Amino acid sequence: MTSAADIRTRFRERGFVVDDAFATSLEIMLALQKPLLIEGPAGVGKTESGKVLAEVLEARLIRLQCYEGLDAMAALYEWNYPRQMLHARLSESTGATIAQREAEIFSEPYLLRRPLLEALTEDRSPVLLIDEVDRADEAFEAYLLEVLAEWQVTIPELGTIRARHRPHVILTSNRTRELSDALRRRCLYLWLPYPSLEQEVEILRARVPGLSERLADRIAHLMQVLRGLPLQKAPGVAESLDWAMALMSLHREHLDARTLEQTLGCVLKVHEDRSIVVEHRAALAPYLADAPAASEGGGYGLATDFGVGTVLPGR
Amino acid sequence: MYPFGDLPGNLAAFCGVLRREYGFRLGPGEINDAARVLQRIDLTDQQHVRDAWRTILSSSRETAIAFDRAFDAFFFPGPSGSPQERQPRTERAVSKSDAPTSAERRLAEQGPHTADDADDDDTGRGAPSDEMADDEPSAEEPTARWERARYSALDVEGVEPLDVRPVSPAWRDAARALVRRLQLGLSRRWQSAPRGRRFDLRRTWRASLQTGGEAVTARWLRRVHRSPRIVVLIDGSRSMIGTQGPALDLAVALAGVTRRVEVFAFSTALTSLTLHARRAGSGRLVKVFLNRNTWGGGTSIGASLRTFLQRHGERHVTRETLVLIVSDGLDVGEPEVLRDAMREIRRRAAGITWLNPLLETPGYEPSSRGMVAARPHITTFAAVSDPEGLARLARIVRLRR
Repeated sequence: MTSAADIRTRFRERGFVVDDAFATSLEIMLALQKPLLIEGPAGVGKTESGKVLAEVLEARLIRLQCYEGLDAMAALYEWNYPRQMLHARLSESTGATIAQREAEIFSEPYLLRRPLLEALTEDRSPVLLIDEVDRADEAFEAYLLEVLAEWQVTIPELGTIRARHRPHVILTSNRTRELSDALRRRCLYLWLPYPSLEQEVEILRARVPGLSERLADRIAHLMQVLRGLPLQKAPGVAESLDWAMALMSLHREHLDARTLEQTLGCVLKVHEDRSIVVEHRAALAPYLADAPAASEGGGYGLATDFGVGTVLPGR
Repeated sequence: MYPFGDLPGNLAAFCGVLRREYGFRLGPGEINDAARVLQRIDLTDQQHVRDAWRTILSSSRETAIAFDRAFDAFFFPGPSGSPQERQPRTERAVSKSDAPTSAERRLAEQGPHTADDADDDDTGRGAPSDEMADDEPSAEEPTARWERARYSALDVEGVEPLDVRPVSPAWRDAARALVRRLQLGLSRRWQSAPRGRRFDLRRTWRASLQTGGEAVTARWLRRVHRSPRIVVLIDGSRSMIGTQGPALDLAVALAGVTRRVEVFAFSTALTSLTLHARRAGSGRLVKVFLNRNTWGGGTSIGASLRTFLQRHGERHVTRETLVLIVSDGLDVGEPEVLRDAMREIRRRAAGITWLNPLLETPGYEPSSRGMVAARPHITTFAAVSDPEGLARLARIVRLRR
């Protein structure tokens, strides 16, 4: 299961549409056993791809959600202090030397494994998803370096723990902060853009069963237009899926201006963006169904003014 | 077709071009990976090879975009669409670095798609010019620099280079004072400290082992102080000529004392000067060739700020950012655009400081359309023309916490 075509098929079976570039990146990541850094706008399926990869490989998914303030204690390991303390008290009268007692309480049973250490000590290579790594502090990247380059964790009291099986690592970033060169150099890189029109139709059809081809096509077209507008929060794939679901549950077979108005909340998450869309109504109009001429002659049948003159439907 | 007959030779030559002409940082590890992966993939599928190598050799969005351009220029130098056997042979690109290679010449002739980074970002071709324009400039001869500037920003013929100079210690001290003043309160991260708000069980327990298991010294944790990011936006338009020197000095001084500074120049288009300012901040004279759209052109403050927000806002404007705008506010664009952009920056950033050189002119009233649109969103309004001015700014600058 390592060729790009194979990856595409397996992902597709699980409703996740990947393009050639993405499939090739995953192929190489599996072949070279290096971590893959995926960057891209919000809502294009970066996190989802890690989950699906775990399913496809039938491996365990270990997820580390990064946040500001994440430290080694929460990501790598921690000692179980209360238990150590208890043991130290209980073993006071056994007559063991200090060195013996110390060796006992700093042994593996007293170690709490956090996601990164856990990923290294699995029996089968798991998929390790380090999500939104840009949210963690810069200092945190230093902890990641040893894990991602050497596949080992050094615990001063215990020694170095090496991975028995290298985990498949996916890092995601929304680029809210520039990642360090050191981290980038240890990773393969993929920029995941918004899907093309055809891809989006394919994704909608794969993920929303029962969605008509026509409606999927309209939604995909509108999303392309919306992403071209100067919005504060451009809608991602997650938003178009939400929108499709909403239209399905409202039993709308056509997208007209009224329906658009009612369901715009699925797509736009900032109030100011609504007024921007209203301003650019004209750009959306060709893909809405309420124009009377829409059913004529196969095309949308509208003479559309793009601001450069009138574009008439081709003959 | 290619400079060498064998694949490893071509790969090495290609990586050389990426390093030299596009500023990629590639070590033997990456090249080794790129060679190893060839055993696994379908060599007859051009797209597959391209995708594979892009994954390995690029490390950011900008380099990924530059990679595709370099790949075409190196492996398909002829007119697009013609079969590979017909493609002209790529010249050996391993000779002297100051002689422009064929790829360089082609890029130079190719025309305006690299020139204006104001509009074509979405088509994926507008890699920031700084990405390509500077690699190791200090060691280079002017001719080589000129070549580079030529294909990164068009229309620089006849343009005098802009000198970004190192600054005096007084500037640096004032910049340090400003950075020190900009405290943003506490981060959510905990740090070990002799005295703090939270008991540090782990370290106390660890220390107690040296005293036979009795916790004699207590250890504490406290919150880390957050230090701010600074974005300096310099208006490079014609009306600012003569007052831009202090603005550049200010940017260089800040870049010299902290890494958390981004510098941009704009007049109708926007260009990053961060790397240049950093180099000048470390004491070297840097010459930059800037497009007239960026330096010495007309003024479009609102549109430039909007471009800045769209392109860099997500990364550089956070709740920890102080946005420093140096401009006279003489905007020829629609005031609504400026107002909306300012409001958006204000919403996202910790503060906006507007430095208006005209403010030092006796009797000046900030009543131009641009200033009127921008003023409600400014948190600190001042003028800085010398280190003393910057030190004064450090005392009055305000941030939202």
